[in-house]
Amino acid sequence: MRDRAPALRVYRGLLWLYPAEFRDHFAGEMCRALADCLRQRPHPVEVLGLYLGVLIDAPKERYHMIHQDVVYALRTMRREKLNSLVAMLVLALGIGSTATVFTLVNSILLKPLPYPDQNRIVYVEEVSREINGAVAYPNYRDFQDRNRTLEDIAMFGSGLATLRGDIEAERVPSGSGTEALFRVLGIQPLLGRTFTIEECRLNAPSTVLLSENLWRRRYGGDPGIIGKTIGVGSDQARVVGVMPSGFHFPDVAELWMPLQFDPKHNTRMDHGLEAIARLRRGASVEQAQDDLRGIMRQIIQEHPTENYGQTVNVSPYRERDTQKVKPVLYTLMGAVGFVLLIACANITNLLLVKASARTREIAVRGALGASRARLVRQFMVESVLLGLAGAAGGIVLAWAAIPALLALVPEHLPMWIQFTPDARVLAFVTAITAGTAILAGAVPAWSASRFNLVETLKEGGRGSTPGGANAWFRNGLVVAEVAMSVLLLAGAGLMVETFWKLNSMQAGFRTENITTLQTAAPSDRYPNGRAAIELVRRIRKELAALPGVISVAGASGVPLLGRWGRSFTVEGAPLLGVKDAPIINHTLVTPGYFQTLGIPILQGRDFNQSDGKNPLVTIVDEGIAKHYWPHESAVGKRVRYGPPEDNEPWHTIVGVVGNARNQSLRDLRHNSVYLPLGEYEWASIAYLVRSAGGLADPAKSLRARLALVDRNVAVSRVLSMKDVVTQSIWRERFFATIFGFFAVLALLLALVGLYGVMAYAVSRRTHEMGIRMALGATSGEIRGMVLAQSGRLVLAGLATGTVAAVFLTRLLETQLFEVSPGDPKTLVTVAALLAAAAMAASYIPARKATRVDPMTALREE
Amino acid sequence: MPPKDDSLDAFLPLHKDTFHILVALADHDRHGYSIMQDIAARTDGQIRLRPSSLYSAIHRMLEDGLIQELDERPCDGNDDDRRRYYRITPFGRKIAVAEARRLERLLADARATGLVPKRL
Repeated sequence: MRDRAPALRVYRGLLWLYPAEFRDHFAGEMCRALADCLRQRPHPVEVLGLYLGVLIDAPKERYHMIHQDVVYALRTMRREKLNSLVAMLVLALGIGSTATVFTLVNSILLKPLPYPDQNRIVYVEEVSREINGAVAYPNYRDFQDRNRTLEDIAMFGSGLATLRGDIEAERVPSGSGTEALFRVLGIQPLLGRTFTIEECRLNAPSTVLLSENLWRRRYGGDPGIIGKTIGVGSDQARVVGVMPSGFHFPDVAELWMPLQFDPKHNTRMDHGLEAIARLRRGASVEQAQDDLRGIMRQIIQEHPTENYGQTVNVSPYRERDTQKVKPVLYTLMGAVGFVLLIACANITNLLLVKASARTREIAVRGALGASRARLVRQFMVESVLLGLAGAAGGIVLAWAAIPALLALVPEHLPMWIQFTPDARVLAFVTAITAGTAILAGAVPAWSASRFNLVETLKEGGRGSTPGGANAWFRNGLVVAEVAMSVLLLAGAGLMVETFWKLNSMQAGFRTENITTLQTAAPSDRYPNGRAAIELVRRIRKELAALPGVISVAGASGVPLLGRWGRSFTVEGAPLLGVKDAPIINHTLVTPGYFQTLGIPILQGRDFNQSDGKNPLVTIVDEGIAKHYWPHESAVGKRVRYGPPEDNEPWHTIVGVVGNARNQSLRDLRHNSVYLPLGEYEWASIAYLVRSAGGLADPAKSLRARLALVDRNVAVSRVLSMKDVVTQSIWRERFFATIFGFFAVLALLLALVGLYGVMAYAVSRRTHEMGIRMALGATSGEIRGMVLAQSGRLVLAGLATGTVAAVFLTRLLETQLFEVSPGDPKTLVTVAALLAAAAMAASYIPARKATRVDPMTALREE
Repeated sequence: MPPKDDSLDAFLPLHKDTFHILVALADHDRHGYSIMQDIAARTDGQIRLRPSSLYSAIHRMLEDGLIQELDERPCDGNDDDRRRYYRITPFGRKIAVAEARRLERLLADARATGLVPKRL
């Protein structure tokens, strides 16, 4: 025996591959059988077979056991179809919501950008009070020449380009850049090449790069396009390359032109373009920022009058675009996390109830030899199966929800945001499914396996007692569910209120029956101010002739869509430094603008056709007039625009008009001034068309009219003023919608949870109710008893949730408008709504309790 | 615990290990090693079950109610107190008989077509 001991030890070790239950039962027998076999002194190959057999049979045994558990769980789920379906639906909603929000987070914050070595791409921004990130060309040159941390730096801009040619003129989003742009991004062209340094010099012959999409769509994918010339704006430009499919930069550009700088115009004061750079290998963002800040300090010393208070920020490329939405996305992730937790709590409750109802069955299985581990595993298998079904449903929901969410986003998203699921989303869904299954299944499994056989069987199959730790735990879950719903409802309430406040905000201009459109005229045909003004006059006249049109105005931009801010100096007022001078919104307008938009003229007059460069006149809004001339008329006073030290010419105020929120509905600080359209040459003119009852098919009819004036005037963005307003607050609408959806979901799930617990509690107390009724309790008293029980749970949840909401809604503060976090009105409304809904959910079990027949209830004993 | 649905067809054809074990237990209660020996002897050593496959089969057969584990030890002189003994259940016997009939029919078919000679 002694010489066989090591062989047996190895064999015993191998038996650990078997499931514990099998091992407990058969390991001794197998070892004895092996010893018997070895006593026969078999051939070494046969001995090896005895050992290898374990390696083959043990996994089969494991599989068999899991298979059995799955079959058992499926059978149980089939037996309790409705319960299982509700559980799957609840999980699908929880997992689906979480997966949807995570897909957004992943696409916007986590996925690598589609550029090689994307971590080295950074934004370079000049920042001061007046400059919001844009970089001046000479400063860019200094950065380029003096830096020690960048591989390349490029400037770029975006806009709209008008394509002309044999087919109809078309406006497409365009980009422009210095020759290093594509090197910084690390993108090679599909055909041809990118720009050369020579092409970026002033007055170099025009060249253009096309996107793959534009090349196929407009030029039929002509393989010989390189070297051909196409009409872009008023120029003929030679196509030098086609960029690869899917490449758009910035945002959604379809066509690129080289940036050509004129040292005379592109001064250090001129901040109109953005800069992007590629870090040297090994250089960090912080090092690059320190480096460029050092250069900026030198520049300020060298050119003190042109660079004031500027500093340079360097940030990872993705971060600048996403920093605004980051907190919101994280808040949403938190909100959806609560939804998932509520779903989990629901499933836990459901499984606990099922476990209680099956106590006797479980006790019998235990008595027949099922180990505790086996019983725990069976419960876990059931929750894992529910989780898997939920995940499948959740993925389908997320798949449907993402396009629906995107429909709420009216803006073009940058091309790198692709809402396609990837391995990360898959891993996330797997993780939350596993987490949910474990979280939801663990407690019921643990509690179910802790049966006392004798007690359980003695109870005559009624399961465990309704009191005790289980009931406390279930009640605790309901309290938590209610609390989390309060939190989400409060968040949603605040977001909805914000949206509603903004939506009903008085913009200060008419939004009904106004159609807006943007146009671009070829500058070669309308070169000087006079021709351009004449074109505006003709277009206004032509559009005014449309049936139903009341008035037409032209402007440098549509309210809320574009902004042009400059500082402002009042004659006679103390001269402020550029740092302190107020920034005022500027709009160039034609006569009739105020009448068209319904902005009242409070003093003086509107512009007329002869207003222009000489004499210089302006109209200010009421805010400015009241601030600077509180006790006298502003008409006749003089103001100056641009940096105070610039000594730009004075403008005489000829009128005062009502305040209008030209910049944003949220923005209460910026006042507006208006200048006659003739004063500046403005390439892209917007028209505002007011009609009686709106225009039928405005895009088509307006384009047709414009074509009568000149086919080469390209039209874009035909929108009703109402749409403009709605689009300007799309973020608020987006978050109000999502938050609202999650909050309603949370509420429904919490109600389902509450209903389940109350229905179960009532079913457990049938006997007690029977006795009470036999002793003369009225149905009202019984109902009151049940409602009081649920009322206590709801109240505890409301209290916890409200306290949490007071603190946690502060996370939403930056998104709110004219409503404060922890707003008592919102919290009270939410609490009342939840209490009412909760009472309704408990009323059904309460009513059922009153229908207990005392005799039946007693006979059941 | 025999399944409620004791339709024999669900078990047929039997796995050969299962059938051999049932045959080994047909006239004797046996422990595991004795089953292995009996099968080896009856098949002239052609079939030698490994302990791992034997106990997997026994596990399954216990679950299906084809055999049962005995509480007491039979006194056959060759006894070992620690060993577990197994006995065929009436249900197991029915299944074994059904399998034997199935094999018999198969053989008869093969003989009828002349594939197999009347006597081997």
